[in-house]
Amino acid sequence: MGKFWTVRIASVVAALAGCFIFQTVATNLGNDYYLRLFLLAGLYVTLSVSLNLINGITGQFSIGHAAFYMIGAYTAGILTRAYYEQQPLLPELWLVIMMLAGGLFAALAGLLVGLPSLRLKGDYLAIVTLGFGEIIRIVATNQQSVGGSYGFSFGPKVVAPWMVCLLAIITIAICRNLLKSAHGLPFLAVREDEIAASAMGVNVTKTKVAAFVLGSALAGAAGAILALNEGYLNPDIFKMDVSFLILTMVVLGGTGSITGSALAAIFLFLTIEIPRNIQTADGQKVQITLASLLMAGLAIAIAISLLRKIKDHFHGPPNQRLIRNLGVIGGSIAGAIVLSMILNATTVMGDKTFEFDKLRMVILSIMLLVVMLLRPQGVLAHHEFSWDFVKRLFRKDHDDKAEVAS
Amino acid sequence: MENLLYVWAGLEFNFSTLPQQLVNGLITGAIYALIALGYTMVYGVLRLINFAHGEVFMLGGYVALFVSWGFGFSPEALQKNPDAQSSALILVIMILVAMAACALIGAIIEYFAYRPMRNQSRIAALITAIGVSLFLQYAGQIFLPNSPPPSIAQQVNPYQENLKFDLISAPKETRDAYTAAKTESDNLKQQFETALNGRSQFDDTLTDAEKALGTQAQEAQNKVSALEGEIAQKSVGVTITVGKLIMLVTVIVLMLILRFLVMATPAGRAMRAVSHDFESASLMGINVNKVITFTFMLGSALAGAGAMMLVTFEGTAIHPFFGLQLGVKAFVAAVLGGIGNIPGAVLGGFLMGLAETLVVWAGYSNYKDAVAFVILIVVLLLKPGGILGSSKVEKV
Repeated sequence: MGKFWTVRIASVVAALAGCFIFQTVATNLGNDYYLRLFLLAGLYVTLSVSLNLINGITGQFSIGHAAFYMIGAYTAGILTRAYYEQQPLLPELWLVIMMLAGGLFAALAGLLVGLPSLRLKGDYLAIVTLGFGEIIRIVATNQQSVGGSYGFSFGPKVVAPWMVCLLAIITIAICRNLLKSAHGLPFLAVREDEIAASAMGVNVTKTKVAAFVLGSALAGAAGAILALNEGYLNPDIFKMDVSFLILTMVVLGGTGSITGSALAAIFLFLTIEIPRNIQTADGQKVQITLASLLMAGLAIAIAISLLRKIKDHFHGPPNQRLIRNLGVIGGSIAGAIVLSMILNATTVMGDKTFEFDKLRMVILSIMLLVVMLLRPQGVLAHHEFSWDFVKRLFRKDHDDKAEVAS
Repeated sequence: MENLLYVWAGLEFNFSTLPQQLVNGLITGAIYALIALGYTMVYGVLRLINFAHGEVFMLGGYVALFVSWGFGFSPEALQKNPDAQSSALILVIMILVAMAACALIGAIIEYFAYRPMRNQSRIAALITAIGVSLFLQYAGQIFLPNSPPPSIAQQVNPYQENLKFDLISAPKETRDAYTAAKTESDNLKQQFETALNGRSQFDDTLTDAEKALGTQAQEAQNKVSALEGEIAQKSVGVTITVGKLIMLVTVIVLMLILRFLVMATPAGRAMRAVSHDFESASLMGINVNKVITFTFMLGSALAGAGAMMLVTFEGTAIHPFFGLQLGVKAFVAAVLGGIGNIPGAVLGGFLMGLAETLVVWAGYSNYKDAVAFVILIVVLLLKPGGILGSSKVEKV
């Protein structure tokens, strides 16, 4: 048995172990709400990595990923309602079939949308995908057979946490293997330069459509898991916000970086969901005063402008740059806290307050803007997780800090 | 007329309501065209889809609302003083303030969000635009009054009377019958009222003859109403409020002003030069930053004017997400006409408005919002450059 097979078998074992751990953690959370968050975070990893295949790896610009998620979910929901009342199959087997069906329908939709818009240069895909998301939602809202805007429920639910993990792993594996193999080179070539790629014999339209359809299919499979996990669907679950959230995950993590997309998915999903449940000691929702809010905005603005200035003017060693950046950020935050405390004490701004959980989409959009203004290529840019990197972290002689900090 | 009602494939096409729907479509289309101009001009100079343009439009609506509140048309002020009178001057001030505020907002967005992204990849700039759009929507949800969505008070719009134009009148005999019935009814009514002489209609002291007269008058009145309905059914006409007519005229005037600005002033010439070739224009000594700011201000001012007119003359309620769908549709209109092409945006806007009302007319009002995107996909398949645009071949 050569190294080739050792690596393959080790990967499969690691994937299965990952699924097992995921399943164990999920079943021991004890709380249905936490279980749901856990599963959704897993689904968002799939969604974000599959969008990264379109936006990051192939360099196209799709902003309606929720549409394909929705198609997968509705396909699974409708088929389950029609054919799975008597439970003729194992629930897990049915889930796999539904994932395939959801993926297939989402892929067909992707083909329908992708073919006309990907033939063209420019930002047409963006607006077409955005529009497609809306059409699908409007159609579902007006179809009484799926309950219109009230949605419809179907049963039985199939809650299989390990399947969420498996889908995420499969998605990551597909993207990673594409990047590492000759099949992925056309995708990268199209991203870097369409004209050069077509001059080298790459069929540009075919490559773009292939990436788009593959990404859509994976989102559709994620939708099928969502549908069977919830047992209830309505069009509002798949609003434009969801598309923008997935897009933000990809952008924040670094367009093109699989690791970045996956980590950003978990991070952002929790950033969005946790504020919903933060409560003060006496069970009230957290209130933010106007003064604190304005000071926070001011701190962000000052930190951004300072960071942009020193980014252009100083080129010290990376660890010094990191310290300086952290200093600017920390200083701004500290200043904002002090100022807002003073303002709150003097009640100059009145006592207008806002519930913290209403701020979450504002936080999301500010995060998007901050990342774009400071690091347009995303936090991880094109970097990927690799074992070499981990080895370097644990090596005794730290002679290459440069790589770690950049 | 009955022969104007066609039924085909289960759909009812009532051609007698078509002219009215076409006029409605023109008015909706005028607003789309105004917004589409902002998209197309920015795309022309920067090759950037300004996703935040719809939110500028939304803010324009709020500015108009606040100005109207300042003139004493806020709900509280109207409760105290319900007879507040509006005038043309107030409307002019509202539209000018909305335009100025939107121009300022557009310039601020350009300076703080888009200018730093100018040397970055186009996707980065697009994502910034989406970020600005999301930020304005959700920050608006926190800071702007939105539950329930406020709308401008009816009293602000002094031009509410209906103008009626008959295209096809009802047949002569029906009109004659109506006139005769109307005279008779008026006669009877007058007789009855004289007979009543100040007493109530249901007074016990009425004699039988008087009661019979009352019934007769009532019957004549019913006949008049029936004939009125018949005339309405048999004639084909268009009803439009004076306000909406003013809105349509204003839109056309604004477009002519824009055309003058773009075609006949130095700033407009610079704008066209930048749109034609960004790099060469800057080499020729054009201050590109100034031109871009000017473009943003111009487009945003048009959006502000559109928003003010929409909320005032149509009475639409405003909420922070109000610009999103309108903006996306207007962008589709711009693509339909040929993105980057100013006459194209106007044409696309009007076509989009007409298409939407035609869908409503055909009985698919639920799918009104979906038709824009169906049109978009069809246009991209058949003529990717848009109706007036040309698809360029990229040279290396």
